[in-house]
Amino acid sequence: MSDKQAANGKEFDPAETFREMRDTYLDAWAKTMVDTVNTDAYAKASGMMLNNYLSTSSPFREAVEKVMLQALQQFSMPSRADVVSVAERTVNIEVRLDDMDAKLDRIQNVLTKLASTGRSPAARPAAKPAARRARKKGAK
Amino acid sequence: MYEASVVTDQLLTVGEKLSEFTKAVTTKASIAQTPKELIWTLNKAKLYRYIPVVPKEERHPVPLLLVFALMNRPYILDLKPGHSFVEFMVKSGYDLYLLDWGAPGPEDKNLKFDDYALDYLPRAIRKLKAVSGSEEFSMLGWCIGAIITTLYAALRPNDGLRNLVLLTAPLDFSNKDGITFSRWVDERYFDVEKVLAAFGNMPGEMIDYGAKALKPVENYVGNYLKLWDNLDNPQVVDAWQAMNTWVTDNVPLAGGAFRQLVVDLYRNDRLMRGEWVIRGERVDLSRIRAKLLTVIAEGDHITPPCQSAAIMSKVSSKDKELFRIPGGHIGIMAGSGAGKRTWPHIEGWLASRSK
Repeated sequence: MSDKQAANGKEFDPAETFREMRDTYLDAWAKTMVDTVNTDAYAKASGMMLNNYLSTSSPFREAVEKVMLQALQQFSMPSRADVVSVAERTVNIEVRLDDMDAKLDRIQNVLTKLASTGRSPAARPAAKPAARRARKKGAK
Repeated sequence: MYEASVVTDQLLTVGEKLSEFTKAVTTKASIAQTPKELIWTLNKAKLYRYIPVVPKEERHPVPLLLVFALMNRPYILDLKPGHSFVEFMVKSGYDLYLLDWGAPGPEDKNLKFDDYALDYLPRAIRKLKAVSGSEEFSMLGWCIGAIITTLYAALRPNDGLRNLVLLTAPLDFSNKDGITFSRWVDERYFDVEKVLAAFGNMPGEMIDYGAKALKPVENYVGNYLKLWDNLDNPQVVDAWQAMNTWVTDNVPLAGGAFRQLVVDLYRNDRLMRGEWVIRGERVDLSRIRAKLLTVIAEGDHITPPCQSAAIMSKVSSKDKELFRIPGGHIGIMAGSGAGKRTWPHIEGWLASRSK
């Protein structure tokens, strides 16, 4: 083996044999594990573990949340729920701003089209005072 | 004396290798470096436009929007200079946009696919149209991003979507035995309400564990051995670091969307059955008329090939292609062969349809 490698111009690496054995073992292990995780038994076991964790941690989590809420109230500081509520309202404002941005884009497009067709938007408001006068006359 | 020095040398070599290994594992790589500008934001979502490098007259007139999954960072599409799909497409003359969903906070726990497909995405597309000046656009959705783009294409077929590229799209959940996730989230074993009551959103760490547990030996052992064996190869170390930076940068999945993913899709296959109702509208895949390219990764363990093929017979698109490619869920776009196989195919397909 070493003669063959020497002929190839490569040094004999004793670790190479170990690596090959290791990789062969890992390949076999990997295939077994892929088959294992794709079974109902694994799904059931992992589901049970998660369920147990959530059930046991739930009382502690609730207790910590209660204590934290009381502590924040004592220090006159906003709770998590308060911050979440403000964040939700901020998102609503962002949505409204986005709606306005869309409307402004549409207005700008209309103005651009009018300008390109030679119908100056500045000429159009001339009709408005006349309409106002007409309304005033009607009112009298 | 001689033997002692050999042992000491060996220990030193192992020690040096170990410190290099630790450095590689703990150092974050510089990723997502293609120049871009932020053009729109809403809540955590951001729309970026990549700065074009090709003169306007040589660019494709139809802009391209990239939509990635909800539970990972989208910079996998722009991993590092010289190995970036984004960089490749910008150089190929595309007016390129990327929608980054961001990381949902506790206030976003009720966000659903309805919101992503019918609120966030249409608003981002409106901005894309305003900035690009084009009424037509192409869209590329990857993984969960492909679900969102499919919903949009079916629910808003007249909004100017010309080309739709679906990458490893989990759309068909009928083959329960072929999809490991379906087994795990079966209602007999997995209590989705209990998880969401505890966390609000599905934690990124749990999603990461789920993805890695599909191939536990490769992800928890083989991946690190590959780095150990190649510590003297800077190219391999750089690529490994960039990928590790992305893999360990987890994002939670909004609770409402996670519930839909489990109940509506994995358990009840409502999309393919034509029973999925999004904000009062039934999703009818036959309303999709955009030109369609579906890319399937043959070795995908996260979205097995059986999940992506069925859409081809459901859509009304006259121009459609199913492209199968060897590789895994991420490897087909970010692996070493992506730049020679997947990217050129997508680019070629889009180029002829973006005139």
